[in-house]
Amino acid sequence: MSGKILLVEDNELNRDMLIRRLTRAGLEVMSAGDGQQALDFMRQQQPAVVLMDMNLPVMDGWTACRQAREDASISHIPIIALTAHASDADRLAALDAGCDDYATKPVDFPGLLIKIEKLTGQR
Amino acid sequence: MRGHCSTVTTGPSQSTTLWSDLLLRAMAELRELYLPLESHLDDGVRDDFSHLFEGSARLDALLQQESPDRHDLMNVLSAIRGYGEMLREDLAAEHTELDAALTRLLKATQAANSGDAPEPASQDHRNITSEPGFILAVDDLQENRELVARYLSRSGHIVVTAAGGEEALRTLNQADVDVVLLDLVMPDMDGREVLRRIKEHPEWRATPVIVISGSQDMEGIIECIEAGADDYLFKPFNPVLLQARIKAGIERKRWHDREELYRQQLERNEKFIRATFGRYLSDEIVTDILERPEGLELGGDLRRVTIMMSDIRGFTSLSEQLAPAQVVTLINRYLGAMTDIIMAHQGTIDEFIGDAILAVFGAPMRRDDDADRAVQCALEMQAAMEEINRLNREDGLPEISTGIALNTGDVIAGNIGSERRSKYGFVGHPMNVTSRIEDVTAGGEILIADSTLESLKGDYCTGECRELKVKGIDELLQVHQILECAP
Repeated sequence: MSGKILLVEDNELNRDMLIRRLTRAGLEVMSAGDGQQALDFMRQQQPAVVLMDMNLPVMDGWTACRQAREDASISHIPIIALTAHASDADRLAALDAGCDDYATKPVDFPGLLIKIEKLTGQR
Repeated sequence: MRGHCSTVTTGPSQSTTLWSDLLLRAMAELRELYLPLESHLDDGVRDDFSHLFEGSARLDALLQQESPDRHDLMNVLSAIRGYGEMLREDLAAEHTELDAALTRLLKATQAANSGDAPEPASQDHRNITSEPGFILAVDDLQENRELVARYLSRSGHIVVTAAGGEEALRTLNQADVDVVLLDLVMPDMDGREVLRRIKEHPEWRATPVIVISGSQDMEGIIECIEAGADDYLFKPFNPVLLQARIKAGIERKRWHDREELYRQQLERNEKFIRATFGRYLSDEIVTDILERPEGLELGGDLRRVTIMMSDIRGFTSLSEQLAPAQVVTLINRYLGAMTDIIMAHQGTIDEFIGDAILAVFGAPMRRDDDADRAVQCALEMQAAMEEINRLNREDGLPEISTGIALNTGDVIAGNIGSERRSKYGFVGHPMNVTSRIEDVTAGGEILIADSTLESLKGDYCTGECRELKVKGIDELLQVHQILECAP
C-alpha cells in the first residue's frame, strides 16, 4: 500500500489549502478534480486513503464512491467524505454510498488527521 | 438631495448572520496587522496570507449573493480556517497581535460551522436602530470599507466608501453626507488632513466626523477631537458601538439641518421685513423690530413722538403743467433726497401721500433728542432744497419749495391694519394737529408747535410766533417759525 493520500476536491482554494496542510503534516498528497479522475487515480496509484468532496463535477462523490466499492481493484481503499452539510441525512447518504468516514467543512484538521490515522494506521 | 455617487451599497440584508461579520472584521484587522509586517515574514507565511485573503475576498463575494450556495460557502470557510490554523501554528510565538486576530478569525469560522451565531461576547449585542443616514466611510483598505458598508447598510443606512482623502472630498462635494467615518492612517492624504479640510469648509463643517484609529492612540484621538472630530473608535471596533456612534452622529446632523433650515427661514423673513419696512424705516428701526419678536404683533403703545409733515407748495397745480414723466422725475428727486435726510436723523417715514411726507421721531425707538433731531432734520431738508432746485433748473424743471410742520404729542404707535395688510403707523389727535399746522406753512418755512419747542434741548433761532385755531381744541395753538442760523 502506497502512503499517498488522494484528495478529490474541485474547489481549488480549499484543495490547495488541504494539500499544503497535509504536506506540512508529513503526508504525501496527490489530487483530483472530479469523480471520474478520482477513480482513475485510485486504480493507477492505489492511495492509502481518499479524501473526497461529494459535490464534484463530471461524476459526483456518491457515484464515485459506489463505483469504487464495486471495483475489486480499489474497493479496499478507505474513503473519507468531505461535505458541506452536518446533517444526519448527509452523513447517511455518504456512508450509504460506501464511504468509511465523514468530515464536515470547514474541516477540523486535527480531527481529520485522526480519522486518516485510524483508517490507514499511518500518519 | 442626494448626489450621484460611484460606489453605493444599499439595503438591509437581514439574512447575513453574525459570524460573517465577525469573520470579516477579524480579517480586516488581520490585514491591517499583516501589511506592515509583510516584508519581515518568510515566503511560506506570505503565501498562506495571500491565500487567506483570497479566501476572504471569495467569502465576501459569496455573501453579496442573495442566497449563497452552502457548499461554496463551506469550501471557502474551510480554506480560511485551514490557512488560519497554519498561520497560527507558524506565527503564534512571535506575533501575539496577529495570533489574537487569527484566533478571532478561527472562532468565527467555528461559529459558521455550527451554523448559527456564536454566543454573544457580552450583553452589548443590542440592536441599535436609528434613522437611516447617508454615511461616507473613508479607509484605504478595501476590506475595511466593505466591512463597514455591510454593517451599516444592514441597518438601513446608505453607505458610500472612499479609498482616500481626495476621493472622500470629492464625494462630500457631490452628496449631502450625514456622517463621515474616517480612518486616520491613509497613504495619499492623511485622515487628519481630511478632517482639517472638512472642518474648514463652510458647508461641510457641521457634518459629524467619527475618526477611527488603528491603535489605542489616545493622544492622536485627542488631537483630532481638538481639530473638530465629533467622535472616535478604536480598531477593531465593536459593531454595536459603531452603530451607536453613527446613530448619535446622524441625530447631530439632523439637528443641525433643522436648525439650518430654521435659520434660513428666519433669514428669508428678515429679508422680507427689511424689504417691506426698509423703504420707510431706517435700518436701526428695522433691526429693532426684528430683535423684538413682539414688534410685528398688531397692537400698539402710546408714546410721545415728534411728528413731521411736509409738502411741496402748489405741487398739484405745478404737476398739471408738466408731462407725467417730468412729474415723476421731480417728485422722486425730491422724495429721494428727503428720505435720506430723514433716515439719517433716525426718523420713521410713515408714508408718502403724493408729494407729502409723514415722518415720526421717537417710534418705534424713543430717544431723548427726538424733538431736536426732528428740528435739525427739518433744517437740513430746507437746506437741501437749493441743490434740488439746481438740478431741476438743469433739467428744465420748475423750482419747488417745501413747507415743514412739526408737532410733539402722545400718539398710538403700532402695526395698524388687518392681519393681511398692516403697516407700522400712528394714530391720535396730534397727527391731525400737525396736519393743521402744515396747512399754514409757507414754502421754505418750518413751523413747530409749542409742544415741540418745549421739548427741545438745543438752541435754535425762532422767528415769528403765530396762533392757529384748530378744530377740536378750544384754545388757540401757538406755532413758532424755526430759522436757519448759527446756534
